Amino acid sequence: MLRGKAKAPAPPETTSNAPVTVAALEAVFEGCYDFESRDVHIGGDIRRKARLCFIDGLVSGSDVAQQVIRPLTDPERFGAVTDTKAVISMLLGGSVYVYTAKSRETLGELAGDLLNGFCALLFDAERTAVTFEVKSPQRRSVEAPREEKVVKGAKDAFVETLKINTTLVRRKLRNTHLKIREFHLGRRADTSAALIYIDGFTNPSIVAEAERRLAGIKTEGALTSAVIEENIVDNPRSPFPQLISTERSDKFCMNLLEGRVGILVDGLPLGFLAPGTFSQFMKVPEDHAGHFLVASCLTLLRYFSVALTLLAPAFYVAVAMYHQEMIPTRLMQSMIEAKQQVPFPTAVEVIMMLLAFELLQEAGIRLPSPIGETVSIIGALIVGQSAVEASVVSPVVVVVIALAGIAGYTMPNQDMGSALRLCRFLLVAASIALGMFGVALGCAVLLYHLSSLESFGVPYMTPFAGGQGRHLSRALLRHSMTEKRDREPELKTEDGGEAKL
Amino acid sequence: MKKSLKKAARLLAAVLALCLTLTGCSRGLSIFSNYRRLEMVELVRTITVDGAEDGVNVAIYGTAGEKQEARMYQRTGPSIGVAMNELSLLPLGREAVLSHTEELLIGEDVARERLDEVLDYVERFSETRLDIGLLVVRDSAAWELVSGLAGEETPASDVLAGLSRSIDRVGQGYIFSCREIVTSLAQNGVALIQCVRGVQEEKLFENRGDLNLAPAGFAVARPDAIVDFLTEEETLGTMLLLGKYRSKNVDIPVDGAVLTLSVDSVKPEIKPVFSRDGALERVEIRLTLGANVVCMAGLTDLRQAETRHRAEDGLSQRFGDALTAAVKRGQAMGIDFLDLYGILSRREPLRMEDAVGKNWDTLFPGLPVEIAVESTLSRTYDIIDPPEISGREEGDPWEKLTGSLKDN
Amino acid sequence: MGKTDGITERQLTVLIFVSLLSPMIRVLPTAAVMLGGRASWLSPLPALAAGAALTGLYTLLLKNAPAGMGLQEAAEQGLGPVGGRVFGVLTALWLGLYGGFLARSAAERLLSTVYPNGNPPIFVIVLLAAAALTAAGLTKSLARTAEVLMPLLLAIVAVVLLSAAPEVSSANLLPVTYRDWRDILYGAVPIFNVAAAFGYFLFLRGRVVRDGEQRPNRFPWLILLLAVAFGVTFFTLGTLGTNLSITMENAFFMVIRNIRVFGVIERAEAVVVAVWIVTDFIFLSSVLMIAAEIWKTVAGVKRRTFFVLPCAALSGAAAFLIAPDAFALLKWSEFLIPAINLAFTVILIPLALAVGKIRKKY
Repeated sequence: MLRGKAKAPAPPETTSNAPVTVAALEAVFEGCYDFESRDVHIGGDIRRKARLCFIDGLVSGSDVAQQVIRPLTDPERFGAVTDTKAVISMLLGGSVYVYTAKSRETLGELAGDLLNGFCALLFDAERTAVTFEVKSPQRRSVEAPREEKVVKGAKDAFVETLKINTTLVRRKLRNTHLKIREFHLGRRADTSAALIYIDGFTNPSIVAEAERRLAGIKTEGALTSAVIEENIVDNPRSPFPQLISTERSDKFCMNLLEGRVGILVDGLPLGFLAPGTFSQFMKVPEDHAGHFLVASCLTLLRYFSVALTLLAPAFYVAVAMYHQEMIPTRLMQSMIEAKQQVPFPTAVEVIMMLLAFELLQEAGIRLPSPIGETVSIIGALIVGQSAVEASVVSPVVVVVIALAGIAGYTMPNQDMGSALRLCRFLLVAASIALGMFGVALGCAVLLYHLSSLESFGVPYMTPFAGGQGRHLSRALLRHSMTEKRDREPELKTEDGGEAKL
Repeated sequence: MKKSLKKAARLLAAVLALCLTLTGCSRGLSIFSNYRRLEMVELVRTITVDGAEDGVNVAIYGTAGEKQEARMYQRTGPSIGVAMNELSLLPLGREAVLSHTEELLIGEDVARERLDEVLDYVERFSETRLDIGLLVVRDSAAWELVSGLAGEETPASDVLAGLSRSIDRVGQGYIFSCREIVTSLAQNGVALIQCVRGVQEEKLFENRGDLNLAPAGFAVARPDAIVDFLTEEETLGTMLLLGKYRSKNVDIPVDGAVLTLSVDSVKPEIKPVFSRDGALERVEIRLTLGANVVCMAGLTDLRQAETRHRAEDGLSQRFGDALTAAVKRGQAMGIDFLDLYGILSRREPLRMEDAVGKNWDTLFPGLPVEIAVESTLSRTYDIIDPPEISGREEGDPWEKLTGSLKDN
Repeated sequence: MGKTDGITERQLTVLIFVSLLSPMIRVLPTAAVMLGGRASWLSPLPALAAGAALTGLYTLLLKNAPAGMGLQEAAEQGLGPVGGRVFGVLTALWLGLYGGFLARSAAERLLSTVYPNGNPPIFVIVLLAAAALTAAGLTKSLARTAEVLMPLLLAIVAVVLLSAAPEVSSANLLPVTYRDWRDILYGAVPIFNVAAAFGYFLFLRGRVVRDGEQRPNRFPWLILLLAVAFGVTFFTLGTLGTNLSITMENAFFMVIRNIRVFGVIERAEAVVVAVWIVTDFIFLSSVLMIAAEIWKTVAGVKRRTFFVLPCAALSGAAAFLIAPDAFALLKWSEFLIPAINLAFTVILIPLALAVGKIRKKY
């Protein structure tokens, strides 16, 4: 990995530039029960000792024994070498069977290595340590994505280990221009992160901005995705996602090829992509796996779903409370009949059902998966039907709320779905207060909010707004792969935005 | 300081926004006064307006739900507005909603005296659609007719809607909407309104009322009131000319048989004829009809062109008479309810303006009108009249057939 | 990637287009038919010519003005600091009043169409509050909102007009001959008046960022705007006829009152009226933004946010003072407001620019 231009913050406890000594190192790790330290006799000679230190669990014990201790204690290899400097030189030169060996002279660097799965041989007299990478292989293997279902496509999802994730990307984009810059996030946790882009293709100003924002993250530790998202997006107060997050490596790579920058963080089985625009949240990688006509129709269906999930309850409230003239006669008659049995006003009914829907959804997510699914289904079927039979709500309200909810589930991105659910409540409130006038004005203000958002300098609503009015079809449809394709012009890729076939 | 001000401003905005949702508490400064509880709504489908001693009698027919009994509410007031206001609050606090009204029926007395008031109410009241059909009820009060149409299980509005649609369909009349009437009155100073009357008939269906709806020609209306009624013949002529004719079956006797023809294409062509000095000499109306044979009583040879021509002539005669009657009636009344001036002006705008100017009302009653009707019989559907028998048998199959009939 | 507030020429033009849809529906077809009668459906044609001429005049007058110079800066250079500021204050005050008129008209439209028992203040207050919130934001955000809304609005207009098409009667539209040319021209005056309001938006010229060889080309948008004007006049007049069109204040919405959408929506009126509020919102936000922008230049400060609230307050006060009832509003909208509007957009603003041009200030 290339080291990021910006200076990465080192862990606070180990920033010391103090020289390396066993005592100092043990003082640093005092109280850490997983810190192990023992003497090793160089070349089997009990008079010549080095101190072997490592963090138990982070390193592989057998690797340490086989690849470091065994060659180091071999009299044939190190028996004749009496000078410690020569021993250090031999260790760095490959006399032990570890592919990464580093010489460390400050306590900070040494502690950093130990925390990253290295073991260290300390030579007190020389105030030097040699570290070897012997990471524990205990990590989750690459599996199919759990949240973003794949029908026809790659099934290698990101895992919690950064190296594996960068490897997945590298395997898909075998190009020397694919740059992976390393950053360290978190003053205390020192989490590794990687900024990934295609050099000479991705807009340099987006890359520079991403570097600046990553380096500017001030946090104790980057252990959750919100730490990354909320620290680097343009408007963290907006409920709308401004970074595309995905567990799918193929989607990640496809977006890199569109001219976006990617961010991977150690410990998170997710990749982040910037800039994130509204239209990108309406797309799924399956669009590029199926036929373009089907994919185009499905994309349009998703936009329709946005309107439905956002507006259906508010529209119903407005129509039922203020604008009954809009309802066809027959439907109106059956609505009146159903409503006569319900004691609550329409507004209360709708809010009650929306809350019940949210409760069911939350319960479904929190409970273990088989029970959660059962709760959702039973909740929807039994509670809904019982509510209607008990005349707590009218059937039309159940239909409207269910429709809105189902439409919300078609959102490819859960964050977008959640933001729309939040706005749905606000629009219902506007509708209760002001009828259709409130719905229209609420939508206008919502559109204004979306239009005011930018992601890394790119208008959030592009290509609907902020461009030259072209490329609208890019957002709404999926063009055939045989056609000459234009990239999003707002990404300003260095090849001029035109994909060469 | 600046931050705390910002915070205070945000808090104030949030409180104000919350207050907005509470506007329901007020009947004054809010839109909540437009709020109607769905369960308290009475959906009005039909309105009738009849004359009363001290004003008008307004009746509304509505249902509160699909399976609930249709109800009629009646109020009398000095004006339609007042009577309607009384009706807006129904028993048990129910509210009448007029937005789904489909038909408005007015009694003859109201049509003669208060037509402008009725139309103004529909036009001004934002709840009512402008395209609701307006009907004038003859020989009885409008509310009596509507009540008579309803059965034990069928609401009057449903029966009325079905019957009035069938008036259009079978070519017995045309229900003009309030918009058409208001526009025509505003543009030409005259409009036509469909009239209906209740007919005591044997019940076809158990769930229907005792009365049936029968068309009773057009009423000719001026902006403030109706002035006269057209006969059935004159109504047919008017519909033909105005393009409101949809379909009608007529019986035409031909060579001892009776052909029932369905007339389904009517193309009127009206053109002015000017003299050399530019004066309007006469008006030529040419009507082209297209008809098909629906059924035949008796036998006649429709393969013969002469036979068909006789049938076509019979049809032309029938429709020509209707057309002539309509034109003559208009001229006799001195009212251009056929909008001949409009049609002629659109055809020859400049010459008509030069020739007529603003003297149409004077010219129209004495203007010579030439009417020509041309009919074409297009098909006999799947039946070949008479059946053509081909084969080895000698002789004319037609003669054989008629011969055998004669023998029998 | 700081928060710059630049917009492109296209965005400014789309903002103008969406904003002007609001007065277009307020004025049409009643005002045009009142002046042009049956022939007024042809009036958008001469209005197009006049609008193109005015666009050309503005382009000519601002041809050499440097990029980033707004109309107020140009006026201050042309008329001198004092004259320019007087001009600016007058225009900003007028826009404040005009904003009030717009809000009040929108409220009245809601009342006479779908909220018969409502009270105007609630609509005016909510509309002004939303517009002030937007006007205090970035110009580019408002312009982008207009960009997103434009296709939706055009689609709704198209659907509504197509649905009204079966009701159109040639008897209401014809005959029209060359002898009606005077009527056609008269009918063009209110349409031109609406289109001419684009002059106010040149106060935002300072926000325009030139992107390469991009040049202002507002003609296609003017054609589109007048195509909408044509559609509204043609279909309303064709459906309701001359007399009924001028009798009704919201004749276009009266046509919509009768529209059924595939038996799913009995009356689409409430939706269309509500959607049209969005254009009022955009126009009102623009007017407040322009007024605040002028005050900002006059006061010589960097941010306009401070001026938005006073401008909105002025509009609110104007809304209630000038039109306590519908009769007063009608009186204002019949002559005074259109006349002042024309005076500003066709005489005062071009004159201020012409003085600067003559004095070779740009």
